[in-house]
Amino acid sequence: MIMVITLIIQVVLVLLIAPFVSGLVVWFKARFQGRQGASPLLVYYALLTTLKKEHVISASRSWVFRLVPFMVLGVAVFLALTLPLVFSDSGISQVDLFVLAGVLALSSVFLVLGGLDAATAFGGMGASREMTLAALIEPAVLTTFAAFATVAESTSVQEIFGQGMSAWSHPALLLSFGALILITLAENARYPIDNPATHLELTMVHEAMVLEYSGPYLAMLEYASSIKLTVFLLILGNLVWAKPEGAFDPMTIGLAVGGVLATVVVGSFALGLLESSIAKMRFFRMQEYMSIAFFLALFGLILTLVV
Amino acid sequence: MLWLSEHMLFASLLFTSLSGVVALSGRSLLFHKLSQVSLAVSGVLGLIASFKIFLAPETGLQILLEFAEFFPVFQLDLFGAIFFSLVSLVSVLCAVYAGSYLRSYQETYHLPSLNALVAAFVLGMQIVILSQTPLAFMTGWEVMSIASFFLVMSDRSQDSIRAALLYLIMTHLGAAAILAGFLFLAQGSLFTDFSTLASMARIVPSWVLWTCFGLFFFGFGSKAGLVPFHVWLPEAHPAAPSHISAFMSGVMLKVSIYGFLRVLLFILPPIGTSASLIILGFGLLSALFGVLYAVVDRDFKRTLAFSSIENIGLIFTMIGVAFFASSVGLVGLYEVAIVASVFFAISHAIFKTGLFLVSGVVVRAVHSRNLEKMGGLAKPLPAFSVFFCVLALAAASLPPFGSFFGEWMFFQGLLQNVSSTSVLVSAVLIFTFALVVLVGGLAIFAMVKLFALSMLAEPRSAHAREVHELPSSGELFSVGVCALAIFALGLYAPTVLTLIGGGAMTASPRELSVGSATIQPSLILWLLLGSVVLVWVGRRLTSRVKHEREYHGWDCGQPIDASMEYTATAFSAPIRFFFRLILRTKKQIATQPVVASNPWIVSHTSTLNMRSIWMDFGYVPVGRFLLGVAEQVKKVQSGNIRFYLFLIFATIILTLWIAL
Repeated sequence: MIMVITLIIQVVLVLLIAPFVSGLVVWFKARFQGRQGASPLLVYYALLTTLKKEHVISASRSWVFRLVPFMVLGVAVFLALTLPLVFSDSGISQVDLFVLAGVLALSSVFLVLGGLDAATAFGGMGASREMTLAALIEPAVLTTFAAFATVAESTSVQEIFGQGMSAWSHPALLLSFGALILITLAENARYPIDNPATHLELTMVHEAMVLEYSGPYLAMLEYASSIKLTVFLLILGNLVWAKPEGAFDPMTIGLAVGGVLATVVVGSFALGLLESSIAKMRFFRMQEYMSIAFFLALFGLILTLVV
Repeated sequence: MLWLSEHMLFASLLFTSLSGVVALSGRSLLFHKLSQVSLAVSGVLGLIASFKIFLAPETGLQILLEFAEFFPVFQLDLFGAIFFSLVSLVSVLCAVYAGSYLRSYQETYHLPSLNALVAAFVLGMQIVILSQTPLAFMTGWEVMSIASFFLVMSDRSQDSIRAALLYLIMTHLGAAAILAGFLFLAQGSLFTDFSTLASMARIVPSWVLWTCFGLFFFGFGSKAGLVPFHVWLPEAHPAAPSHISAFMSGVMLKVSIYGFLRVLLFILPPIGTSASLIILGFGLLSALFGVLYAVVDRDFKRTLAFSSIENIGLIFTMIGVAFFASSVGLVGLYEVAIVASVFFAISHAIFKTGLFLVSGVVVRAVHSRNLEKMGGLAKPLPAFSVFFCVLALAAASLPPFGSFFGEWMFFQGLLQNVSSTSVLVSAVLIFTFALVVLVGGLAIFAMVKLFALSMLAEPRSAHAREVHELPSSGELFSVGVCALAIFALGLYAPTVLTLIGGGAMTASPRELSVGSATIQPSLILWLLLGSVVLVWVGRRLTSRVKHEREYHGWDCGQPIDASMEYTATAFSAPIRFFFRLILRTKKQIATQPVVASNPWIVSHTSTLNMRSIWMDFGYVPVGRFLLGVAEQVKKVQSGNIRFYLFLIFATIILTLWIAL
């Protein structure tokens, strides 16, 4: 019973704060760049408005085009449901790192299919780039996860991200933690991989793929990327500070929810700072980034074995 | 009826032969149909026979016992039954498929001989799996090879004949190596059986074992398409009719894996660390090169062929890791890796058969194998494209399909043994893990390219725009069964593992388990489906469904057409760029002035040459060297009769000297 309640609290909380996180990153960025910045709550309003708008659908599309938003948002909900994000034992213990990596890849694949199905040059460009990034980040993801699994002596996400294992308590994980940050940036289409703010053809990856989506479908895709960002920030947070332990009472719940909010605020701050201080990489230098992530992950894995 | 149940296997072989005989009876379509029906019946009987063994593994089925004087010549044990069931399943599917598929190609192919050759091909594979003696094994192997050689050139075009001849050379070098291996091991005697051979192998000196291992490795590896012996595969698979490609890639490659495993597991004594590292190294090399070429190739069927090389590479990697583990004493990893390799082989047989059957329909619809001429097929072929999507996702080893759980077992096995005390073991396992995940990422790319470029967006050619040949019900059935089977293989992975003797890898009837890790495939599936349904309900509740209108895509102010879409070449450009040191593609842009006085009005021609470094730096120089030697030898033929007489005399002397 407690498990079900914790699960419900987690899903509702993560789904609820996801747009806020996206808004917060934009707000922090604006402040860093000396602008006033829109309210972080604007994203909720934008999503609700998009949801009510008429949906213009491309004449070139097939059934895949309509399936994509459901699959992508479905995977995002799957992540919010199965990972230990709020409590140390919430989530589904049966889900392990390989399933997590596979499901993330599945979501990328469907985004790519949606981008290509629209039959525009933009969609194809974004799809080709996203597929390259997804294919090359996959080894880094699995290798990083392998390092965490080696330290935790288990591949279950609950035992790795939920049980208070942090980069401080296991210094051998520092490199893998660094790799995970690189992966977070790549998976969520942030700087220096992708520029989430512009629709400039030279830079865009994620936005190019969703260009043909409008109305409710666009809202779903935007919402999915918010959820994914939130989930990744919370996972990184889990590896920095441990979740509150204790009996299942209002006190623990309060602490856990407070921890989640603190994590996303700090995470958004860091992301805003990063995005205001570095430039986007040229796409054809991306293999350097991917190689760094991969080798960082590989050395992280070796380090966990040596230490 | 009782006779049938006792002699199921014999009946299966009989129906396969019958299929060939019926096919040769005449050119009418009736004989074509009857031949396919007979092949399908043979497959069904074979499936039942295999399942009888799965359910009662200790009772191997033997046939033709009354003719065997000393030992069973033909016998089906549990290990053989796994592969026999694959041959049977693919025969049924291909027979159903070919029934209608070949009707569109009555002009191109000579149906009676094609069907008869298919029957011989299947019979050869069945005999290989059933045989317990080197002689029977080699007979089946040759029947299979020769039949498939003729099948590759069944459209009698120049390209096919070239591909078939290359295939013939490679396959015969391989067959010769296997035969030499058997003869060497049996000290020249062909009339032994595998168990006698195994006891003989235990007492021979180690250099003989090494030679035999090398011969078997080359023989089976070249047939399976291991890099660098793979050059025939990307030529032969596309040239053959699509259901033959499905046979060749789906089961013939599996038969060579069967042969290799049969030799390693049942005949040769445990191979050492260095031999297993050789297998592992070649496996990883094949996986990496296979997947890179699969990503950059523009030909639908060649992409699939390269993807087969990649998958075979993965299977050999798993086999290599298994024997490496057993040689360093990691029994747990040995079991996991060997079961994972067989399980992955099963899933590969299913999805690759399905994908090659898909290729037949696609190529017929577009009249081209070129991905640049495809596109937009998901609209005229909706159900077909759903099946294709499932098969492509399965081939990319994504959850929740069977191939994912094969890789899952392997990864778990690697990870749980990576923190070993020995540096060598850790290093080998980490290196394998790193390369296999790199290959896994690129495999997703290759499969997405294949599906998206052929099925989605606007058609890129006139043929793709007006598709006349829609898939018939038989073709849809076969492709659909493959899609359903790979899905079920994921969902019921624990059950399948129990059936094929990997019961140690199942925690309960619904859970897979490797060491300390357990996973429930059905739970993953339901969670994924549940999340998607939740999203669907949420969308219904929060927005109006009918509130939409159709319009053309965003066009930047001028009308868009299919020529502005991304092509397969463009789609894979980043990978080609990032891996240019390995792929060594030659890109040339030539600029020619149109008007001599104006430097700005020029015409550009761009050529992109996908080279095969194995051909350019390996086979072509060797071929040139052999031709050069032949030129030199030709000088002996002076035309002088007395010189020839001298040569004959010298030969006789030499022969006598050696013989006496």
